[in-house]
Formats: sequence, C-alpha cells, structure tokens
Amino acid sequence: MNETLLFLIILLPLVCGVFNALVGMRAPRLFAETLAVFGVAASALLTLLMWSYAEGEGSRAVLYTWFSSGEFEVPVAILFDKLSAPMTLMVTGVSTLIHLYAVGYMAEEKDYARFFTLLNLFVFAMLLIVLSDNLLLTFLGWEGVGFCSYGLIGYWYGKGENADAGRKAFLVTRVGDVFFGIAMLWLFTLFGTLSISEINSQASQLTPAILTGLALLLLLGASGKSAQLPLMTWLADAMAGPTPVSALIHAATMVTAGVYLLCRMFPLVSLSPVGMMAIAAVGALTALYAATCALAQREIKRVLAYSTMSQVGYMFLAVGVGSVTGAMFHLLTHAFFKALLFMAAGCVIHLCHDENDIFKMGGVARRAPFVFSLFVAGALCLAGVPMTGGFYSKDAILLSAFAQPGLYYQGVWLLATLTALLTAVYTFRLLYLVFAGKSRGQEGHAPGIMMLWPLLPLAILGLGSGIINMPTLVGGNSWLQNYLGALAGNVPHVSHATEWGLWGLATAIVAAGWLIAWKLYGNFLPAKENLLSRFLLSGWQADHLVEIVILKPFRAVCRFCCYGLDLTVIDGMLEGVAETCKQFGERMRLASTGRLSTYIGAFAWGLLGLIGWCLWRLISL
Amino acid sequence: MDPVVVTYPDFPWLTLLLFLPLIGSVLCWLHRHEPEECRWYALAVTLVVFVLSVWLFVDAPQSGMRWFLYEDVAWIERFGIRYTLGLDGLSLLMVVLTAFLQVIAVIISWPVKKHAPLFFVVLMVMETGVLGVFLALDLVLFYIFWEVMLIPMFLLIGIWGHKRRVYASIKFFLYTLAGSLLMLLGIMALYWLHGQQTGDYTFALPALRQTVLTSSASFWIYSSFMIAFIIKVPLVPFHTWLPDAHTEAPTAGSLDLAGLLLKTGAYAMLRFAFSLFPEMAQKSLPLLATLALIGIFHAAWVAYLQKDAKRLVAYSSVSHLGLVIIGFAAWNVTALEGSILLMVAHGITTGALFAIIAMLEARTTTRNLDELGGLWHCAPVLSAFLLLFSLASLGLPGLGNFSGEILVLIGTFKSHPLWAILAITGVVFSAAYMLRMVRHTIWGPQGKLAVCHDLTLREYLVLVPMAIILIWIGVYPATFLEPLHETAIYLLNDPTAIKLVGGGR
Repeated sequence: MNETLLFLIILLPLVCGVFNALVGMRAPRLFAETLAVFGVAASALLTLLMWSYAEGEGSRAVLYTWFSSGEFEVPVAILFDKLSAPMTLMVTGVSTLIHLYAVGYMAEEKDYARFFTLLNLFVFAMLLIVLSDNLLLTFLGWEGVGFCSYGLIGYWYGKGENADAGRKAFLVTRVGDVFFGIAMLWLFTLFGTLSISEINSQASQLTPAILTGLALLLLLGASGKSAQLPLMTWLADAMAGPTPVSALIHAATMVTAGVYLLCRMFPLVSLSPVGMMAIAAVGALTALYAATCALAQREIKRVLAYSTMSQVGYMFLAVGVGSVTGAMFHLLTHAFFKALLFMAAGCVIHLCHDENDIFKMGGVARRAPFVFSLFVAGALCLAGVPMTGGFYSKDAILLSAFAQPGLYYQGVWLLATLTALLTAVYTFRLLYLVFAGKSRGQEGHAPGIMMLWPLLPLAILGLGSGIINMPTLVGGNSWLQNYLGALAGNVPHVSHATEWGLWGLATAIVAAGWLIAWKLYGNFLPAKENLLSRFLLSGWQADHLVEIVILKPFRAVCRFCCYGLDLTVIDGMLEGVAETCKQFGERMRLASTGRLSTYIGAFAWGLLGLIGWCLWRLISL
Repeated sequence: MDPVVVTYPDFPWLTLLLFLPLIGSVLCWLHRHEPEECRWYALAVTLVVFVLSVWLFVDAPQSGMRWFLYEDVAWIERFGIRYTLGLDGLSLLMVVLTAFLQVIAVIISWPVKKHAPLFFVVLMVMETGVLGVFLALDLVLFYIFWEVMLIPMFLLIGIWGHKRRVYASIKFFLYTLAGSLLMLLGIMALYWLHGQQTGDYTFALPALRQTVLTSSASFWIYSSFMIAFIIKVPLVPFHTWLPDAHTEAPTAGSLDLAGLLLKTGAYAMLRFAFSLFPEMAQKSLPLLATLALIGIFHAAWVAYLQKDAKRLVAYSSVSHLGLVIIGFAAWNVTALEGSILLMVAHGITTGALFAIIAMLEARTTTRNLDELGGLWHCAPVLSAFLLLFSLASLGLPGLGNFSGEILVLIGTFKSHPLWAILAITGVVFSAAYMLRMVRHTIWGPQGKLAVCHDLTLREYLVLVPMAIILIWIGVYPATFLEPLHETAIYLLNDPTAIKLVGGGR
C-alpha cells in the first residue's frame, strides 16, 4: 500500500457526507443511513489496516499544494504517526458506534439527510485536525468542526433557543480561533513554514519570550474549542443538540481537539515554563469550576456537559505538567466512557418521555436494568472507581502533577484532587437521582436495539481501557507511554510507596464522594433552592457576566457607529453640503425674477461698478 | 522573460471582448419592441464574452509576457490620446470576474418586466464600461470608461430600484462624480506637467510614470486620484453612499455594484495611483491601512445592527474591502495576491448573497430580519445555499474568501504584525453579523411567507456555478493565483517595468 492511501481515511467520510448532502433526501432513508455509517466505518477499518504506517517516525503524505504565493507554501500534508494513529482510531471507532446509535435515535426525524451530512462532515474535519501536518490544514479542520457543531447544535432549528445555542458555540470558539490564527501568522513569520513537524523541530531556536507568547496564544486557541476558562460558556448550552451530537462532538472528539493540538505542538509549548504553568492552571481551574457547576445542574445532559468540561480540564492539566501520555490516555478513556454516558443518557431521556430534569426522573434502574448497567459502567469510570479505565488515566495525571517539583504544582495537584472528590459526588448524585427510588415523572418508550448494542463495546472499552497504559505497579507494561516514545513528554519518577499512597488516597476520595452523595441524595427530597445552588446552576453567572462586560458595551458601540456616526455625522455632513448647495441655488433663483426692471437695475449697478473700477484704476495710475 | 517585448496579436481580441457587449446593447436597442428577444441577445452576448474571457484565462498567461495581450494605436494624436488596452494577470482575473458576474446578472434579471429591453441595454453598456476600466492603459480612455460605468448604474438604481431609489441613485451619482471630477483635474494637471517637462503631451500611462514631480504637486495629484478611488472602494468615511445604493438597487445592480464597481476602485489604485506615484503611495500606505482597519470594524459593527438583510450584506462589503486594502498596504507579493483573490471571491460571495436575498424576498415579500425565519422548512436547498455563502463570507476555510484572507493576513503580518492582528480580530465580528442574518432567515420559528417553493431551474443556474467557483477558489486557489505571480511582482517592485513596455511608442 501507498502512503497516499492514508488520505482515504479522511476523504471517505467527506465523500459520503457530500453525497448525502446532494442526494440524501431523494434516496431511500436506509441508503442515506447506510452511507453515513459506511463512511466512518470504512475509515476506521482503513486505520486498522494501515496501522503499521505509524511505526518509527510515522508516514507523511502530500496530496497537492493548497497555497503557493511568494514564500507562502502550504501543501496538503498529513502525518500518520504514533500520536495521530491512536487518536484516529479512537475518532473513527467511536464515531462508527455513535453513527449506529444515531440511526436509532433519529429514526423519527424527517430531516435526516442534513443530520447525517453534518455528522459525516464533522468526522472529516476532525480527522483533518488529527492527521494534518500543517497548521493551516489543521485550521481548516478546526473551523470545519466548529461549523458542523454549529449546524448540529441548532439541528432542531424551529426553536429559536437551539439556533441561538449553535450560534453562541460558533462565536465563542471563534474568539479562541482568532488567537490560534495569530499564533499561526506569527509562526509563519518566524519559520517561513507552517509544517508542524518542522516548527516543532526548530522551536528550540526561539527566545523564551516568543515561546511564551506562542504557548499562550495556542492555549487560548485550544481553550475555545475545548471549552476551558475563560471561553467555556458555550458548552452547557450546546446540549440543545441531539444526543448523538453531544456524545460525538461535545464529549468524545471536538472538545478534545484543543488537548490534541497542545500535544501535537508539545515540543514547542513545553519549552516555555510560563506557558506550561498557564496550561496547568487553566486545566486545574476549569476542572474545579466545572465540577462545582455539575454539582447543582438539574438537566442530565448539562451535568454531563460540565463533567466533560471538567475532565478536559484534567487533560489540559496533564499537558501542563508535561505528561502527553497522561493527556492522551485520559483523552482516550474519557472518549469511551463519556460517549457511553451521553448515549445512555439519551436512552434514559427516551425512557422518561423526553424529560431532561433529573429531579423528575428516578426509578429508571428497575425499569431498564440494561440501560442502568451501561450507565453505571460509564459512571464508575467517571467517578474514578479503582480498576476502571477512568481511574487509571485520571490517576496518571494526578501522579504526574504530584511528581512535579515546586509549590505551584503542589497547589495544582491539590485542586485536581479536590476536583476528584467533587467528581465522585456529582456522579453518584446523578446515579441516585436518575436510577434510584421511585419514578417521579412520566414514563416513555424503551429505546430500540440500535440504541443499545453500540453502547456495549463502549462500556467494555471504558471499563477495560486501563489496559492501554497499565502502570508497571500492577504488572502492566505502560504500553501507551512506550508506544508514544519520544512524543510521550515527561515521565514521572516516583517511588512505589508514593504511587500506592496516591492510589489509596484516590480510592478513599471515591468512597467519600459516594458516601456524601448517598447521604444527600440516597432518599430523594424535593429540591431546596438557595443562593449557592442557583449560583452554581447558572455556571457561576458566567453568561450574565459576559452580557454585562462584553455584549452590552458591544451593542452600545454598534449603535453609536450606526446611528451616531453613519446616519448622523457622516450623512448629516453630506446632506448639509447638499442643503447648502440647494440654499445657494434658492438665493440665486431669487435674482431671476423674470421682471425686466430687476434686470435693468442689475445691469445699471453692474455698469456703475465697472465704470467705478476703471476710474479708480485711472486715479491710481 | 524580457519585458520590452510586446507582441501584437494577429487579432484584436481585447477590443472584441470590450465592444461585444456594446454591440449587443445596440442590437438589443434595435429590437426594443421585442423584450423576449432582447433578453436572449443579452444572454447570448454575455455568454460569448464569458467564453472568450475563459479562453483568454486559459491561453493568455502562457505567453509569459509582462502583458499577456497588448493593443496600442494612436487615437486623437493632437492631444496625445491613445487607444491602449493591456491584459495582465490582474486585469485578467477582473475581466473573467466581470464576464462571469454579468452572465449571472442577466439570468437573475430574467423576470424583469419594466422597460425590459432598456434594462438589458443598460446592463450591457455597463459591462463594456467595467471591462474598459480593467483594460485601459491610457488615462483619457480610462476616464471615459470610468464615467461610462457610472451612468448605467445610475439608471439601474433610479429606474428599477426599490422604494428610496431616487435618493440613493442621486447620492451615488453625485458622490462618485465628485470623485471622478477631481481625478479628471488630476489627470489634466499631470498631462500639462509632463508635457511641459518633456514636450511630449500624452496621456499614456507608461510615459506619464516618468514625470518628475515636486513633492507638493505629486501630493495633490495623487490625492485627487486617490479620493476618486477611495470613494469607489469605498473606505470609511466615504462609504455611506454604498449601503443606500446597494439596498435600493435591483438585484443585478447590487450584484454589479458589489462584484464589479467596488473592484474598479481597488483595481485603479493598483494600476494608476500606485504606479504613477510610487513614492507618495509608499507614504500613504499607513494612512490607507488605518482607514481600512477602521472600516473593517466600523462596517462590521454597523452591519450587526441592520434589520434589512440587503443592507447588512452591503455593510459587510465595506468591511471586506477594508481587508483588500490592508493587503495593498502591506506591499508584498503574498498580501497583494491575497487581496486580488479576495476581490474575486468577494465579488462572487456577495453577488450570490444579493441574489439569494432577492429570492427570499420573492417568496416572503420582505427583507426585514425581524419578520423572516424558519426558511429551511420550506426551501431547504435555498437555505443551504444561503448558509454556504454566508459561511464563505465569514471566512470559513475551504471556501473562496478564506483563501484571499489568509494570504492577506500572512503577508501583512510579515511587514506589519499589528495590522494583521487587528484585521484577524475582525473575523469574529464578521461571524457575528453573518450568523445573525442566518439565524433570522433560515433558522428559528417560521416567519412571514407568501409562497413556499424551493429553487427553480433558473435559480439553480444562478447559484450552482457561483458555489462551484467559490469552492474551487477555496480548495485549489492555484488556478487563480498562477496568472498573478508575475503581475504581482511587477505591480510591487519594478517601477520601470511598465515604462519599458510600449512607452513613447
């Protein structure tokens, strides 16, 4: 096989998506659905077939030259290496399962072609981000996923709020994209290329100040896409989209694009200590912030959205403490269990007659034990119960943070540990409220087979994915870390005793979280609203803050420019000139009275003036 | 490549291209009592012009000359006025854009009933005017075409426009006329000064470039040219004619205004103002960039508030043209090529948006964003096109506008990082107003609706070619960049390039 065939991995979903866009509505429904699933499944299969191309330094392939102008050359180049290969497999694999689930979930929808087109295009754009070896190509994917996310969040466009949520997601992430864009322009000016591998290999020539600037710009760019502080406000609203969309875009793949970008650019980013500290801080603070918000949410999908934000925060933290392995490990396990949780939540919503409010659920476990067991599998991973995939990956991050010297990173570790406690609390809170006790609302229909069996592989993957990077402590071989090799970043060196100690602590935290949740929510009590819960429910009033600090002044400036400047000052001046001309004309018109006497009079005065002037000239001679 | 060599083709292709539309308009006028036939004449003529221009696009750059095609004969020798046409990469792209948009304009205007023959006559006269502006290399010839362009547009707005058409047409006419009269003064001054110096009274661009000017003379003459061009582009604060004219013009008029007339201003800056006064141009670049940057933000903010979809798109033009001018001001090959590419892409995107808004209005009887909504339900294909062109307009990679924008930004960052950073910030606002329009037209609850049907065949014929070209520019811009490479270098670096070619002949 030839390296160029790697492009098929990207292009298959694109072709199927475009095909669905053009003829999807005219073809039979089954055809459109099959095509959509085929596109991603085939590229998943192809990834497996071509796995060996990632060996060594990886394989590079170029399709054609996108831009060529002056010194600016951008080839359409992809890099299939040990960082992108596992990510590609995860994206295509999880996408395939989610596409299958979506076929079941969207069975009642009439406008299916738009849905599957966007879903396929999304996978295409996401794969571009993962595989691209050129920042501009990454940017193409980066904006592409943003657009697909926009279109899918607003899929049920009939309700204005859904469309608004999509627009908000697009605009907030675009603020981040601006920083990414600036970083790109700067990098080109510095290196004369946008090739990721070349930039990484030459990064050490830069001065610390420039490195820090670049790292911070990339961090802000990544924050937008990954819903990290301060660009996090869009993710919770994005839950307006259909559940498969939340599972695919807002849990497993797109929101982790920021983490992936930082991992991809790690050789550059890691050269800036300040940048790394900032990344760690953003990660830890977002993790904590989102976890507190998740504690008070009432909609099942919003709980999961905040937990996604929080878990992605962990991944940022991992990058910040230099552990690419930790970040990628958690990225993979999280993709499995969070996609699982979202899709299981979709089943729960169907079971509760399209009810989103967890206070009106309850008792689902007895009615749907299979859904319950799937959800529990995901929840155990999320809470970090020992031996699950989520436990190992989260613990790898905590360990790396703990191993970093310095008070700063000790603080970061402490925040992350506190977050772990909150995570356990809100996860078990969710379990109790949704599944325990008696039903408090209406009962809906049971999910179909298409919505259930794709979850099973995810549950197995979620629970068992610890094996990807099983620590040597329990007889594992740290496969991912060894596989990534030079790309793995720092490897924490701690004694076995410390490692056991941290595990013990983690276990105790999960147990404590469970106890607290059981105490508070074991028996359902009607919700007590107070100031704190309202504050947390609203995401610390972040939207309100944005409204006051940014949007209101923005609209005022717009009004000033429109009504103040354009319509009043500029047009006013123009019309003033026109008016003056008109007035002048009116004056002049008075002179042409049409009466002979006026003209003779004027003639006489003129003649008099002329003679007077001649006389004056004579005298002055 | 030797710039001195100018080949005269066996056949005056440029002249043919230039006057075909005029011939068409005469034909059309002769058949003015048969509106049906007139329409077909217009379509046939614009199509022939388009095919010819595509042939030129494919064939001409292979000559490898500074001027792919060049025609030069003495016209009014007493005054040193020549009939000089030249086609280089820059004119070539503009000519193809003109020919393409004009075909689209005819198809869009198919249902025009009011004075239909006159309408198509006017449309074709305008095509000759615009093509002339893009081809002329003699200042008098250029000025004539510059004014020829103005009158058809005045008529288009004044006769076939919407409610406030008289106000808008007069504002447009007076504003641009004021600018071009200033330019005429500048041309005359340059002519006399050059004549006094060399004894050779001529309006030929290559010869006039050698005029030695005092700094105050070159300041005044340069300013007189630039004001005419800035009004046409337009840059803030000379932009307020544009929203009125665009909004009130009939669809074909809006398309031509945004797609072509604005481009003539930018084109003329490059071709005449910058090349006649290279030193003054260098000095004025920061000022130009400042105006352009103010324009990018100002227009975007104003666009955000507009209720009339057409007005919103009109303001977006001001914002995008700001970026084009930034690319000029950066003064390097990448940025310049980006600017020219952006001009082409913007012409198509904005033209398509105006066309779509007209289609919306035909179905809903309104352009007011507060009254529209939920159009996807009833016309999904039309809505999808609206979405596509809006995305192009807000700079989504893979679509035409982005290709131009990124080149401009890359080039600008190299010489003036701050300009590029400010300009890139503007994309957030362009997303803000574009998505606002999309939100209030195709999404949301069902708004006002008169008839509910999706695209007709004629509407497909308008939108599909535009979409294809837009994606083409976005995915494979090389097709459009290649003819530009040499030209861009000439436009930027080599002040002697033009004078060697055909000067003093």
